[in-house]
Formats: sequence, C-alpha cells, structure tokens
Amino acid sequence: MKEGFRQAMAWLHTWAGLIFGWLLFAIFLTGTLAYFKDEITHWMQPEVQAHPLDDGRSLAVAQSYLQQQAPTAASWFISLPTSRDPGLSVMWQDKAEPGKRGTFIQKILDPVSGQPVQARDSKGGEFFYRFHFQLQMPYPWGRWLSTIAAMVMFVALITGIITHKKIFKDFFTFRPRKGQRSWLDGHNAVGVLVLPFHLMITYSSLVIFMSMVMPAPIMASYGDDSRAFFKELFPNTDNPPALGQPCQLLPLLPMYQQARQQWAGGHVGRVAVNNPGDVNASVNVFRAGSDSVVHDFGNTVSFNGTTGELLRVSGEPSLPAVVGGSFYGLHMGHFAGPVLRWLYFICGLAGTAMIGTGLVIWLGKRQLKHAKSAVMPFELRLVEVLNIASMSGLMIAIAAFFWANRLLPVSFAARSDWEVQAFFVAWGLSLLHAMLRRGRRGWVEQLSIGALLFVAIPLLNAMTTTQHLGVSLMNGDWAMAGFDLTCLASGVFLAWAAWKMQRRTASQPKAERARGLTLKQEAG
Amino acid sequence: MLLALLMCYAGFTALCLSTDRHHGELLHSKLTSKRRLGLRLGGWLLLIAAIWPAVLAAGWSQGLVEWCAVLMLSALLLVLLLPYRPRLALILAGLSLLASPVAALALS
Repeated sequence: MKEGFRQAMAWLHTWAGLIFGWLLFAIFLTGTLAYFKDEITHWMQPEVQAHPLDDGRSLAVAQSYLQQQAPTAASWFISLPTSRDPGLSVMWQDKAEPGKRGTFIQKILDPVSGQPVQARDSKGGEFFYRFHFQLQMPYPWGRWLSTIAAMVMFVALITGIITHKKIFKDFFTFRPRKGQRSWLDGHNAVGVLVLPFHLMITYSSLVIFMSMVMPAPIMASYGDDSRAFFKELFPNTDNPPALGQPCQLLPLLPMYQQARQQWAGGHVGRVAVNNPGDVNASVNVFRAGSDSVVHDFGNTVSFNGTTGELLRVSGEPSLPAVVGGSFYGLHMGHFAGPVLRWLYFICGLAGTAMIGTGLVIWLGKRQLKHAKSAVMPFELRLVEVLNIASMSGLMIAIAAFFWANRLLPVSFAARSDWEVQAFFVAWGLSLLHAMLRRGRRGWVEQLSIGALLFVAIPLLNAMTTTQHLGVSLMNGDWAMAGFDLTCLASGVFLAWAAWKMQRRTASQPKAERARGLTLKQEAG
Repeated sequence: MLLALLMCYAGFTALCLSTDRHHGELLHSKLTSKRRLGLRLGGWLLLIAAIWPAVLAAGWSQGLVEWCAVLMLSALLLVLLLPYRPRLALILAGLSLLASPVAALALS
C-alpha cells in the first residue's frame, strides 16, 4: 500500500513536471532575472547617469521641474533615485473632467542638473518581471496560466519530496561523471538543499496570484505602469478635493524629513502631491519597500501642502495584511541588500536548474530504451526539441533582447516593442533550429551561439556606449559593471556546457557504448 | 551575515562527516559512534547558533531570512565542492571555524 502510494506520487511528479516543466523553466529564469530588474533597466538605459545619492537635491530638482512643466496638474508623483536605479522619475496626471481619468506623463530627470534625460525607449528589466507572471499574453490569461503553473510546481515539489526516499541519507551526495545517476543527484541536490526557497517562492506566488486574479487590494504590483500608482493612491482618497484657489506649494524637503522621523529614519520611496497648485494641496510621502521584509502597501505620512501641517500617519497594518505582506515581501525581495540579492539570484538559478535537470532526466531515462534503434519515437523527439528550445533557446532569446537594446537606433519608432520582438523571434528561430538538427548537435550549436552572444555583450556595450567596464568600475557604478560581468560569466558557463556536450558526442561511439551506457544524458 | 555563513558551513561539514560514507571518503578512517555523536551534536549546534549573529546584525525578520539564505547556500557550496575538491571543502570548514571568533569580534 505504502509503495503504491509512493509510485502514484512518482507518476504525478513525472508527468506534472514534464507538461509544465518548459513553462516553469522560463518562469523561473525570467523571475530570477527580475531580482535585478532595476539594474537591468539601468544597463538598458545607459543615458541615465549614476550620481551619488542626495534625496534633498533630487526632491528640490523634481519640485522645480514639475512647478514649471505641470503647475496645474491634478497630481504629481516623484520616485527618488536609488543605488540600483539612478534615474529620478517624475510623473504627472493632467486635470480631467469628473468621471474621467487624466493622462499620465512620465519623465526621467537627471538628479543633478534637473534636465529631462532623453533615455532610449526600452522595457528594461520590467520585461522579464512582467513576462514571468503575464507570459506576454492578454490580460487575465497569462496570469491564470502562470497561477496554474505555480500550483503544478507546488504539487511537483510535494510529490518530489514524497518520491525521494533518502532525503537525509543522500543529503550531501553528488556524484558527477556518472551519467543518468549524476543528473538525478544534481536534481535532488538543488531540490533538497534549496527546498526552503522553492517552497517559499511557490507558495508565496500562489498567495500573490490569488489576490491578482481576484480583485483585491494587493493588486498594486510595483511597477512603472499607471495602475500601480493609481492603486497606491487608493488609501488617500480622503485627501481634500481642490478648491480652485491658487496657492504656492511649500518645499517638499521638510515634509520628507518629518516623514523619516515618523519612521525612525526609514527611507522614502515616492512622494505624491495632489492638487499641487491649489490651496487644498496635499502631500503623501510613501515609505520605500526596501525598508522591511514585510511589505506594507500603504505606509504613508500625509501633509497639508500649503501649511505643512501633518494630516495623517498610516496605522500599523492588520494581521492578515502582515501575513500577506510578508509573503509578498519575501517573494519580491525588495528589502534585500546587494549580498542577499545575489543569494536570492543564486537560489533562483538553483530552482531553474532543478527544473532543467528534471526535464533532462525524463528524456534520458526513456532514451535508454531506444538507444539501439536509429530513429527515436515521435514523442521523445518532441520532448527533446522542446527541451532544447526551452532551455538553450531561452538563453539565446535573452541575449538577443540585450543585443537589440544596443543595436536598434535610439530614435527607432516603437523601439521597446522591437526589443521584445527580437526576444521572441530569437526564441522562435531556436525552436526551428532544434527541429532541424539532431539532438546533440542542436544542443552544442545553440549553447555555443548563446555563449558567443553573452560573452560579446561587454564588448558590444563598450562599442555602442561610453559606459564600458573600465568606466563603470572606475565610477563605482556597480549595477552597470555587474551586468557586464554577469553576462561574461553566463557566456563562459554556456561555453563550458557546450564543450562538455561536444566532448561527450565525440567520445560516445566507442568508449561509452562499450560500457553499455549509451545516450546517458543531455545537458541543460 | 559573514559569521552566520562561516558557522553554517562548518556546521554542515560536521554533519557531513558524521555519516559513514562521507567520513570514510574524506578522512579515510572509521567512524566511531562517540565521534559520530560529537560531530552530529556540534553540527546541529552550529547551524542553530548561527541564528544569533544573523539576528543580532539585522533584526529578527531580516536576520531570519539571511540565516535561511546562508543555510541553503553553504550546504549547496559544500555539496558542489565535495566531489571535485574534497580537501578544499575540509580546509574551508577549518578556516571558517578559525575565522569565526574574528568575525564575532567584528560583530560585537
């Protein structure tokens, strides 16, 4: 009975993992990249220069710019620069007829000169962040599909734990160079050792998704779209309406300082001003999400904009809000400093590797049976093609996205859409390539192309911008330098994988067939 | 976070050495039941005690997250080192034990 249960769980693990594995691989890899979404955006908009942070100067610059450009706007939003994202973002909403919503206009300012920066049109890291839960599909479908994928992932994790007989006995076991055995060891090792992360990320995604697919307050996902800002305004609808009497707005800096005192030195993420030119102006200062693990969606201090009087301090969040906020905060990792952020990134890569090795094992096991025949059955060939395209193909697509960012002319129309097009075209081509080439050759060629593309990215950056590695390292612009170095490392890794694959292909016919270990593995 | 990392790595190495298979592979000696108990106890103690520096440096919520992170990463590092550079894995564990008091001094 017990064995029957375990077998049933193993069956579920195998098939749930296979059907959703390709999708989950993409979700995990792009989600992992999203941990560095601000840094990626910084790299993809090199026109936005990094400066030493000075919130006082940034606020003054933003206020005087908005005063000139949008004195009669319905509201202003100011997002302060951070060490991860150096741009000072200002946005305003025009006045509109009652019942309509005014249009939003966003600019990125240089926090020192106060001039708008003509940054190239690019989705930046936001693309990966959006893709990992919307999957580039129209509104609720992508979110539904990724919610289902998250549930399957959860099922696969639980069934995987049940199926794995010797979690503690094999805890430290990894035996490389043993073919199928090594893949299973690797799959178990990254699965078991990083299990707390896998469980946390999968469960928290369900918590977040549940509120996404049902219209609940947590809908406000941080991002640069207007909806997120609008939702953040939600708790402030009790701010008084405009009276129509013009009045000068007070400097924002003292209110900023007072808000920080309220939070015992906590940081300010964003400042919103309602009715800036009116006697009834109000200023809402939002706390930065990086301040605490528990994400608090409405941590604000509100002021009267013309008298400077403190109007309201948001109370302590309720217990459900704390629980929901902790899952949200843990998943997003806004609070993580550089070291912890890298650890998050490594954990994400481990999750990606777990899914990838699982897919390889599925195929490897079944290929053994057909090792002697020349032609693989259609279903195995299908899995092989999808494995290649979903893993090495995705790497190529990501590299193509970055390449497009540097090669498309800055003034190109609908430029950011073309970057995304480049991503999907490259992915589609890699699928085509995988269909045309025989398994192992397909792997070697795609991994090599991916390696070349990634290794060349620092070079490409040096040729197309003034922000090459020498400059960024000298200026201490770690986001820019880190991006280049990470690309270089990824390229070297892919080259190593390609080389391993190539060597196996070459040595296979004689030595390994003699030992009866044909077609042991496919690389991921 | 450094001290927590050092302690977790040393702790996992001790737990690893408390298994028959890895003890034989790494130290080429037979594991006595007394030593097994000592290694197991020491390993668990180090892992759990590593909560303290993490929480002390970063507060409860962030500290616990950091502890979990270094727990996972130190185990991953050890398991990846073992088959390729077993001696290095052991040397690192020794070094982290030696460096722990220094890191503790820097923390306090």
